[in-house]
Amino acid sequence: MKVAGALLVAIVVAALLLPPLLPWGYAAIDWNAVRAPAFSPGHLLGTDSVGRDLLARTLAGTRVTLAVATAAALVALVIGTAWGATAGWFGGRIDEAMMRVVDALYALPFMFVVIVLMVVFGRSVLLVFLGIGAVEWLTMARVVRGQVLALRNRPFILASEAAGAPARAILTGHILPNIASVAIAYLMLTVPQVVMVESFLSFLGLGVQEPLTSLGILVHDGADDMDIAPLTLIVPGFVLVATVVCLNRLGEGLRARMAR
Amino acid sequence: MLAILLRRLATALPTLLAVILLSFVLMRTAPGSPFDSERPLDAATRAAMDRTYGLDQPLIVQLGRYLGNVLQGDFGPSLVYKDFTVSGLIAQGLPVSLTLGGLALILAAALGIAGGILGALRPGGWLDRWIGFKSAVAVALPSFVTGPLLVLVFGLWLSWLPVSGLDSAAAWILPVLALATPTAGAVAKLTRTGLAEAMVQDHVRTARARGLSPLTVLVRHALPPALIPVVSYLGPAAAGLLTGAVVIETVFGLPGLGRYFVQGALNRDYPLVLGVVILYAGLILLFNLIADLLYGLLDPRARG
Amino acid sequence: MSVYAVEGLSLSLNGAQLLEGVSFAIDKGGCTALVGASGSGKTMSCFAPFGLAPGTPTGSARLEGAEMIGLAEPALRPIRARAGFVFQQPLTALTPHLTIGSQLAEAAGTRDRSALAAMLDRCGLPEAKLDQYPHRLSGGERQRALIACATAHDPALLVADEPTSALDAGLRHAILDLLDRFRERGMGLLLVSHDLPLVAKHADRVVVLDGGKVIEDGRAADVLERPQHATTRALIAASPRLDSPAPLLPEPGAPLLSASGINVRFGKLAAVSGASFDLREGEALALVGRSGSGKSSLARAVARLGPCDSGTVTWRGDPLPPRSRMRAEHRRCLQPVFQDPAASLDPHWTVQQSVEEPLRHLFPDLASEARAERAAAALDEVELGSAYAKRRPATLSGGQAQRVAIARALVADPELILLDEATSALDVLVAGRILDLLGKLQASRRLAILAITHDLAVARALCHRTAVMDAGRIVETGDTAATIAAPQSQALRDLVSAS
Repeated sequence: MKVAGALLVAIVVAALLLPPLLPWGYAAIDWNAVRAPAFSPGHLLGTDSVGRDLLARTLAGTRVTLAVATAAALVALVIGTAWGATAGWFGGRIDEAMMRVVDALYALPFMFVVIVLMVVFGRSVLLVFLGIGAVEWLTMARVVRGQVLALRNRPFILASEAAGAPARAILTGHILPNIASVAIAYLMLTVPQVVMVESFLSFLGLGVQEPLTSLGILVHDGADDMDIAPLTLIVPGFVLVATVVCLNRLGEGLRARMAR
Repeated sequence: MLAILLRRLATALPTLLAVILLSFVLMRTAPGSPFDSERPLDAATRAAMDRTYGLDQPLIVQLGRYLGNVLQGDFGPSLVYKDFTVSGLIAQGLPVSLTLGGLALILAAALGIAGGILGALRPGGWLDRWIGFKSAVAVALPSFVTGPLLVLVFGLWLSWLPVSGLDSAAAWILPVLALATPTAGAVAKLTRTGLAEAMVQDHVRTARARGLSPLTVLVRHALPPALIPVVSYLGPAAAGLLTGAVVIETVFGLPGLGRYFVQGALNRDYPLVLGVVILYAGLILLFNLIADLLYGLLDPRARG
Repeated sequence: MSVYAVEGLSLSLNGAQLLEGVSFAIDKGGCTALVGASGSGKTMSCFAPFGLAPGTPTGSARLEGAEMIGLAEPALRPIRARAGFVFQQPLTALTPHLTIGSQLAEAAGTRDRSALAAMLDRCGLPEAKLDQYPHRLSGGERQRALIACATAHDPALLVADEPTSALDAGLRHAILDLLDRFRERGMGLLLVSHDLPLVAKHADRVVVLDGGKVIEDGRAADVLERPQHATTRALIAASPRLDSPAPLLPEPGAPLLSASGINVRFGKLAAVSGASFDLREGEALALVGRSGSGKSSLARAVARLGPCDSGTVTWRGDPLPPRSRMRAEHRRCLQPVFQDPAASLDPHWTVQQSVEEPLRHLFPDLASEARAERAAAALDEVELGSAYAKRRPATLSGGQAQRVAIARALVADPELILLDEATSALDVLVAGRILDLLGKLQASRRLAILAITHDLAVARALCHRTAVMDAGRIVETGDTAATIAAPQSQALRDLVSAS
């Protein structure tokens, strides 16, 4: 977990702070160095098929991917917690109806739903993360609902009711603090999910649009060009995989710690 | 058992209907039309086109006509692949996509469950940790990264395996491998965690106290409850594999449904996108139904 | 000649010495009982030699002369197969996805149906249970099935860890009688139990453990009737006895609470049907009955802490509103104490925050200093003291947590407290002390008490009157001592004979 945390921090810090220090911007074209190999002057990792610096592009793509993922995961957290907590708190018919909706949505090919949304409303970064967040909240809703349902019948909640606490006080004083840790752990696990979805969409050309770039677009471009410049595939692919592995490990570790 | 099946169907069918309704309405009310992509058309031609495809009718009429046709297996004409009906495209592409997804599902389940069991035999041993690390990485290996990398290494550098088309059985190896990797990792992890939880349960201690061999205890007493989360994961995983197949077909140039779908989505070919979404929603509901039935096999309490 | 002999058994795990020099023996056909408070090492002593507990034990443990200590798992397995094991939780000790028959066949090493049916039969189960899955069986049936599996291969020794504590009182002696029948065939029985009356009746030797050491052992009658060690005496004193003298209870005053015609339904199941009772100031009423008899649902319906479909509850003659419309002045009258102390307190809140909670909502005008003062006074009253105020539940023992829960119930000065099995999740010694505390509070505060319990000893220690519930109805009500002495209903007769 420590290694994962350190590597993740390194990736995030590099993506945020390093780009201004590089000689070339992520969209700037160096006409003198098309498909330059690694360690060329000014291009540590070489350039792509139109002469753009691979390191700068990878960092920029990482930044966009992480930003979209974090925003989408937060959307998922808000919707999921609200939905799950409401269902768990009221229980009975309301719970059943609300969870039916979640079950039904679970059964959908959610990637296709996002694609349909992209097709219908056009492609924009805002829509990418709204759309992804709107389908990624399902797991969160299930987890939160399960937690609330279990808490609802715990004696300390009953004792709180006997102590005259109104529903609002029970929710904010007992329920939310007790589900916060689990919700945060699942938030950590939602981020890598979203990273994958965003990259997937971008890879297909349905996500982030040029001139903005993301890890998915870079992998796609790299795949087109890999026989000549394999680094253009390997570098963004490695950063993507490393980021997801680290996020998963952190989330799992956090969840295991919370479960105790 | 039958009651569970019926109850599931009672949820599944309205879901399917809702998917059709929602996608249909979304697509029809969306700004833009497939005819926008090329040169702007003059009003008269535009109206003629709309009439040809029934787009001038009220929405509810269009929907009713569409539903009637879908029930007869007719998803309408493709707007982009002229001369093709959506049903025709599906008939061409679906077998390839299903074979790809099915093989990947089998491979992922076999590799994952075997890996999980191997790890659980000696908890904390080197094999356990090695498999744990492998599966953590595998989960994070999206097929659109593995696919091109496999092509690069085995196709272009080593020239061992074909990298596109379906001319030989060997051509399936790389696409299936790329597609199965993340699912196999997830299944291994779920199996391993499930076994770790099952191994400390009372009934496993009872079985150990009976003097049974460790393998018998593991496979007969601990594995079935440990597989319950795996089975409930495989429903959505099948959906994920179908989705993943979209990318794999693009990367390896396979003539599957996914490629048509992406092209359709990029070109606003509404009938095609709608048809594929409905078909996949139906398939995924079917997978979830199968997963529910498997569930009953593993846990007699779920049989009601 | 002893079947099983343990000598100088020691076990340490992660630097903690769990067992130290434990020795005992079991004769052929004999029964040795290990008794002690929780954490005394009873269960460890049973399972460590067989490799069924974590850690590596030292010393000696010989089953039919074969030494087990120091053997690796493969060598240990055949020796372990000469013993049978019955565990505490019949609910979870059987594999849920295998039929009773296939588990029994696995244990017996035969698939012959008539042989398997005979094994079930001698444990009092019909052949039809062979084809059933464990979840179809009742708790008692599951325990019998587990015993059938454990005895299928005619073991030389049966190790039974609290075989009856998860079962209803009525079934306990029946299960022990069953085990006694196997002893007649020469099987030794190693019994772990905190139920001393049960031990007195069935064991011939008793070993008392405390802190992982044997503090006393000998013939069961000698140890239990003339205990030498203070801890043994405390264990015996804490153990419920129905023949102890009736306590002096406060004199009841004016009518306080009246419940009539209470009905509670859960779906199709009628949990409570037309139950009625009255309670006066300072009076204590015990609601006794088997688990599932509806006593908890009735009490929660009356206290407006659970669903109540119909019926009226009055407080000093005024009707109590339904649950959703209870206001502070209503909630002030009555406070609950629940069974599981660990779940009774919010793990994120300090002891002081928990104890102050009723004051914050029921007396919103109280200044924070006054709140803290009253919370400290309540903690003093439950003999905890202010040192505990800043602690969180995770750092409290079960008994301490239950004291905090009692302090929380008392802090708002209610006239009635609801005790929902308030002592049954606690260790015998701790439960005895909590019961003493409640008795003191009852006298000093003239508290009215509604006590839900399946333990008649609790009713005798605290309650003027006892109401017996069975299948959702009150079947018998009367003066506690007289009712228990001459039970009228079958439900109470079962409870009495089981105590």
